[in-house]
Amino acid sequence: MDLFDKIAPLPAQHEQIAAMGRDPFGVCMDEVRSATEAIIRGKKVILAGSNNYLGLTFDPESISAAQNALARQGTGTTGSRIANGTYANHRELETELASFFGCKSTLVFPTGYQANLGMISALAGPGDYILMDAHCHACIYDGCRMSGATVIRFRHNSPADLDKRLQRLKRSDSNKLIIVEGLYSMLGDIAPLAEFAEVKRKHNAYLYVDEAHSVGIYGQSGQGVVEQAGVSADVDFIVGTFSKSLGSMGGFCASNHPKFDYLRLASRPYMFTASLSPSVVASVLTALRRIRREPELRDSLWRNVHAFYDRLAAIDLTLAAAPSPVIAVMLPQREEAVLAWNRILDAGVYVNLAIPPGTPDTSSLLRCSVSAAHSQDQIETICGAFEYVAESIREYNARGSNPRTASHVGD
Amino acid sequence: MRDEDDLVFHKTCTLLEPFNVRNVTLSRDTDIAGDLEIDSVAVLDLIMEVEDDYRISIPMNMLSDIRTIGDLVQTIHKQARGA
Repeated sequence: MDLFDKIAPLPAQHEQIAAMGRDPFGVCMDEVRSATEAIIRGKKVILAGSNNYLGLTFDPESISAAQNALARQGTGTTGSRIANGTYANHRELETELASFFGCKSTLVFPTGYQANLGMISALAGPGDYILMDAHCHACIYDGCRMSGATVIRFRHNSPADLDKRLQRLKRSDSNKLIIVEGLYSMLGDIAPLAEFAEVKRKHNAYLYVDEAHSVGIYGQSGQGVVEQAGVSADVDFIVGTFSKSLGSMGGFCASNHPKFDYLRLASRPYMFTASLSPSVVASVLTALRRIRREPELRDSLWRNVHAFYDRLAAIDLTLAAAPSPVIAVMLPQREEAVLAWNRILDAGVYVNLAIPPGTPDTSSLLRCSVSAAHSQDQIETICGAFEYVAESIREYNARGSNPRTASHVGD
Repeated sequence: MRDEDDLVFHKTCTLLEPFNVRNVTLSRDTDIAGDLEIDSVAVLDLIMEVEDDYRISIPMNMLSDIRTIGDLVQTIHKQARGA
């Protein structure tokens, strides 16, 4: 008996994957040069899997605001929001976010993961029902588990399946919280929110939407898929992160519920953790103001999305969804995906490798995220790497045997 | 009652077959995740199939009590009775 028995199969699985080239889950960026370039093992690599959708991580204004906050307010708050960790700029960020979403109030968390953990576990409890989309992120699963509510999973992006499962509930008068995401991070598909809102109204449920990958990208003012679908009035809670389009760290929830602010005294992941450091808050605030001021950033991103998608669609590869800033190439075999991932990195491009059970529907994915900061040349190089890989896969399938083991970047 | 129980067991085995890629002989003692070597997400997908087949809810909270096919059969009975 060993505490580690429960993860006993992991080392062998991990070694098998790493033996095919590099360790895809232990890549180290030796140096990050810009929003779209890094040095990995001495070689320049284009970043096409960093969720840096608007390319704001090196925004000079955000860096300068963060530097000022660092100099004036110190390196950290050394306290939680309910003790000494609420600074004026935490409040300022919450006010700016509320104004951005046109809602009464927002709560800020140290990470997006904690935002879901903190919100779901505080909103739902024993006796309540949570109905969650099967493709929701791990932090939503964890928040549901932590809540103690009765949790039912419904088929991905299926309002009809949700409706059916709601009808089956024994205690129909209990509280019901429906949880979906705006843009799904693995396949890059968006939720049919207007139809979900209809089901929500029919069953008198609450609707909770995670816009982690869609804030700053969808909707006329960049609020997300909720805004684009025109269902803001039906959505009770919008959750998101600052670590993607806003290029920093942290998470939030926005709501119009009259008692929303009392969650500050009920949400354990909000109350019992140190608050965001002032420099992080300053960079987020600056980035948020920039995306409100410059809708052109979104236009640049979408231009790149379409250029990227059209180019990949012309290659003989299966794309998981319609064009979005997340473009996932689906490969049925895990081994094929690991080898393809290595070859793409050989060609100087970093994308994400995702394999089951971390992916929906048992397929393996080479997941790309498009950035507004990608140049046309970079998009060409990324797509060229995929073209090279598609050719290898064709050879692999034709031969019915393993392609040559990938060589290493910098080796 | 016994016949009905056998029926549920056989139907559950039928639902499990697509997940049984190693062709394990299924019994009530078969460990769903362990013996069939199916991952945590596949188990959740299987539960959805069972829910639809019996028009019942099997909340995720109950999964920690379902290890074997026999456990799943018991859970189906319990949820169908509305307990």
